[in-house]
Amino acid sequence: MDWSVVYDYRELFIRGVGNTILLTSVAIICGTILGLFIGLAKMSDKVYLKAPAAVYVELFRGTPLFLQILLIHTAVIPGIWGLFFPEAKVPEALFSGFVSLTLNAAAYIAEIFRAGIQSLDPGQMEAARSLGMTKAKSMRLIVIPQAFLRMLPALGNEFIALLKDSSLLAIIATPELGYAAFNVAKNTFERYPPYLTSGAIYLILTLFLSRVVVRGLEKRYSPK
Amino acid sequence: MVSACGTGGQQAAGGGSGAGATDKVYVVGTDAAYPPFEKMEADKITGFDIDVIHAVADAAGLKIEVKNTGWDPLFDGIAKGNVDMGISAVTITDERKEKYDFSDSYFDANQLILLPEGSTVSKLADLKGKKIGVQSATTGEQVVKKAFGDTYEGIKGYDDTPSAVDDFFVGRVDAVIADNAVLQDYAKKMSDKKFKLIKDDSFEVEHYGILMKKGNTELLDKINQGVKTIKENGKLKEINDKYFGQ
Repeated sequence: MDWSVVYDYRELFIRGVGNTILLTSVAIICGTILGLFIGLAKMSDKVYLKAPAAVYVELFRGTPLFLQILLIHTAVIPGIWGLFFPEAKVPEALFSGFVSLTLNAAAYIAEIFRAGIQSLDPGQMEAARSLGMTKAKSMRLIVIPQAFLRMLPALGNEFIALLKDSSLLAIIATPELGYAAFNVAKNTFERYPPYLTSGAIYLILTLFLSRVVVRGLEKRYSPK
Repeated sequence: MVSACGTGGQQAAGGGSGAGATDKVYVVGTDAAYPPFEKMEADKITGFDIDVIHAVADAAGLKIEVKNTGWDPLFDGIAKGNVDMGISAVTITDERKEKYDFSDSYFDANQLILLPEGSTVSKLADLKGKKIGVQSATTGEQVVKKAFGDTYEGIKGYDDTPSAVDDFFVGRVDAVIADNAVLQDYAKKMSDKKFKLIKDDSFEVEHYGILMKKGNTELLDKINQGVKTIKENGKLKEINDKYFGQ
């Protein structure tokens, strides 16, 4: 076992950590926004909102992320670019990574939002409405802030899953942390050093996410 | 992408050592995603290498079973003993020879650069700063690393060559570097697309060998005898003509 390969290829790992953090952050932010709207649509009384949202969630939850990545990278994105931007360059693997992680996370986050909002006493909404607030305003000012606190543990889990799942992007040669391990292992014939190194880095990142980010949010949003 | 393609035989996964000496079925691993050397055709593994290894085994009087192990598991499997031999367009290199034994060469290859038709690139050095698609851990990747450094940001190391070529044709990488035979095979199939293939004088000719666990001289001698036989009796040339023309 030769651990010096990790040092020799340190740039690959450093670049990998940067891209993993970038991919996860973008997917968390975009996935949460998209997931909120899909979750709200799923709770709507209107069939034209409810049905597509339900189909979306089932599709992205019911198929492997690995397949979604391959499909989006090799078929959907080149197809869209060929159709709408034939002159422009098809974006790189990193972009395919943002898109697939965001779309996938949004499906799970939509369900977390729906569960969080539905777990809240309907009296909250009724009270807000009786004070003359519109449905949208009651949702925004009364229901979502309270539900958000209840969602945090589940959201934290989803963010951690997202961070780890980003390693699947190695298959499309996205320069993230999983790719660094994969590439170094292939090129050096060393197995433990590259895989354990990236495993340890993932562990540090997930611990940071759960202990610092999620716990920080919980503290900030809990009632005083 | 590890799939067992056998229909029985006495070796279970992870085993294969205790079989009788005379009718032992040798497990040959390959990474069947490298046409025309090896590919999956429906549920069958076919290709130049597969024809070669069957001819070699016939000549050497060995029974074999070819399995699609994938690239990395092939090397690991041979080291562990789950796989007896590997034939997968593997170039004989000093680095690999430290860990594995190789048969005599059965094919000579050289690297080519796949470029867009109008490209002004005329040699590897012109690709500095550009994105180059390769299959990870192949000689194609090694020449790029040698030229631009081990951690050159523009290297896109794919798990297989078809994925690199795919990304070349949609414009995600500026060039692909791989073996001549593989790229020429694509050239035949992709006649509707515009591209060119160039050679760089710094690329050395490579020799493909059949690899096996270090120290297994008995098997190595038999295989080398088989390779020699098919070279002499014209069988190798016949297979060569079948795949690459005259």
